[in-house]
Amino acid sequence: MLKLVVCIKQVPMVTELPWDEKTGTLRRDLAPGMMNPACKHALEAALQIKEKYSAHISVITMGPPAAKEVLYEALAMGADGTLLICDKILAGSDTYMTSWILAQAIRKHCANVDLILCGAFTADSETAQVGPQLAESLNLPAVAYVEKIEMNGRILRVRRIVDNFRETLEMECPALVTVSMENYLPRYVGLGGLQSAFGENQIKVLDAAALGIAAADVKKQGSRTKVRRVFLRKTQKENEYFTGVAVNVVNEFLNKYERKISTVIGKSIEGKERTRGK
Amino acid sequence: MQFNPCMKHKLIRDSARHFAETELAPIAAEIDKNATFPVAVIEKMKKLNYFGLQAPKEFGGAALDSVSAAIVVEELSRVCAAVGLCVTVHNGVAVFPFLQFGNKEQNEKYLPRLARGEMIGAFSLTEANAGSDAGSVETTAVKEGGDYVLNGTKIFVTNGGVCDLALIFALTNTDRQQLQSSVFIVESSYEGFLRGELEDLCGMRANPVSSLFLENCRVPEENILGKLGMGMKIGMTTLDNGRIGVAAQALGIAQGAFEAAVKYAKERQQFKKPIASLQTIQNYIADMATEQAAARLLLYRACELKDAGQPYGCEAAMAKLYCSSVASKTTSLAVQIHGGYGYSKEYDVERYFRDAKVTEIYEGTSEIQRMVIARAVLAKLTL
Repeated sequence: MLKLVVCIKQVPMVTELPWDEKTGTLRRDLAPGMMNPACKHALEAALQIKEKYSAHISVITMGPPAAKEVLYEALAMGADGTLLICDKILAGSDTYMTSWILAQAIRKHCANVDLILCGAFTADSETAQVGPQLAESLNLPAVAYVEKIEMNGRILRVRRIVDNFRETLEMECPALVTVSMENYLPRYVGLGGLQSAFGENQIKVLDAAALGIAAADVKKQGSRTKVRRVFLRKTQKENEYFTGVAVNVVNEFLNKYERKISTVIGKSIEGKERTRGK
Repeated sequence: MQFNPCMKHKLIRDSARHFAETELAPIAAEIDKNATFPVAVIEKMKKLNYFGLQAPKEFGGAALDSVSAAIVVEELSRVCAAVGLCVTVHNGVAVFPFLQFGNKEQNEKYLPRLARGEMIGAFSLTEANAGSDAGSVETTAVKEGGDYVLNGTKIFVTNGGVCDLALIFALTNTDRQQLQSSVFIVESSYEGFLRGELEDLCGMRANPVSSLFLENCRVPEENILGKLGMGMKIGMTTLDNGRIGVAAQALGIAQGAFEAAVKYAKERQQFKKPIASLQTIQNYIADMATEQAAARLLLYRACELKDAGQPYGCEAAMAKLYCSSVASKTTSLAVQIHGGYGYSKEYDVERYFRDAKVTEIYEGTSEIQRMVIARAVLAKLTL
């Protein structure tokens, strides 16, 4: 049976959250949490692999005790085991530190993993770094932004879209993929599944010590990045209004923008007869 | 005493909300306008246990606690009250009586199909001359051999147009001195089970409410739910539970209207500022928010008492009375805040406004709820 690990993250349910000026981190306490959408797609990909090839799915997250919630949701969707890495000394980890900690957890608790799946990016910080960094930490081959996964024995064939090109790549297990949101639309969570998740399963919680991580390691390994300043970019675009009779408005608009529109749609509309009235 | 939702209740709410917003929100206005039952969405809901909210796992249900079940109904009704109604009637007054009164054979035969939604259930007490006064039922069931032959007409049956199974209240002894009623499990495939035209109603229009006609409908004796003569007991017990469902539904409608009103108040500009900055509108919003919070606490209290196995009839009646009143008031204010637009079918609040009214009527009118509450209060030796 295949051993799959899905790394998921709890993110705030709103799109814009205030930042803590002092620490440069999000004030996550101000909004309810949810499973990061791309992580949910990664879990869905794992569930479809499980249905097709039979697999055991372990789901890992790192966060405060409230992050258990996304693990329960993962169980309700069909995951088999869960792990919460929860320790105050790990709070504020950047992507480098996070991926290093996840690597420790996977080495220790998910040995012999065949495939690790991560969401391609998170809705809150959107660095898209943890997956690839985790692959580096574990010295595994990895492909990011995957939209389709097929398995043939130990060979993994994945498809992704990059820069408008569709690529199909192969690699050997064990490997890591980060899953995009193009495909693998997550299933709805069944109510019975939720009830069972809370009734029968225990979420395994590990602190830093249980992962063999001491405070000194945290300092040595350390977060390599520091957020110096956080600000909202001011809108650079301005609305332009065309007023008057419809025919004139359309003509005025096209005179000004037909070249740009042609470029965007990849087809020339310049010089076309525009209105019957003309 | 817990006032914060636990993780499970939050996840149940998030999941039901996600489903409702994805599947029901895009069609809610249309199915209301055309009075169509959304079969395709209902099929999806069956697989996700919406038709077996509190049925045990062994029968294919989700085995939810009562607060969770109420949250599900709230969230469906927040988006589409007619579907919330279908679910709460099926679970609250069709599945529930089996759980309370069904014998082993009846439960094994019907519960799996009900819990998986293969059979949609209905509950038929109301008749032309019997609604609030449940004792005036005129439908009769006369024993003939191993069967009972049912005759009568049930009206305003929620899910009537699509139900595969109806619990029918009928008199099994018409002697004025020994009046006795029983509840019969009647499958829609039985000969003599006929449906009337769908009702053309003010709200909840996507629910197929209809009359049911029983014309010499033969029902096997083993289909008497519980025991012969238990009609009144089953009816009253079931209505206590049904009221929790209608309270949840009313609260969901109120929530939907409230959210729409707050959003609109922030967006709508008059006097060169959002109307939410006007004190009158703020007063409306404050009252709506406060009343909804109070209503929710009343509802969850009734749920907790029910799950603790304590009497909850009076509390369910209070929850139903208050939640439905809050729904009517909130939806009315939501229309008011929207002004002329609120009176237009272009905005959802018009639908919420129509949907809310019936929550003060069915599953016992507000007048009946007051009767139930007053009786319970007056019967107490100490207050």
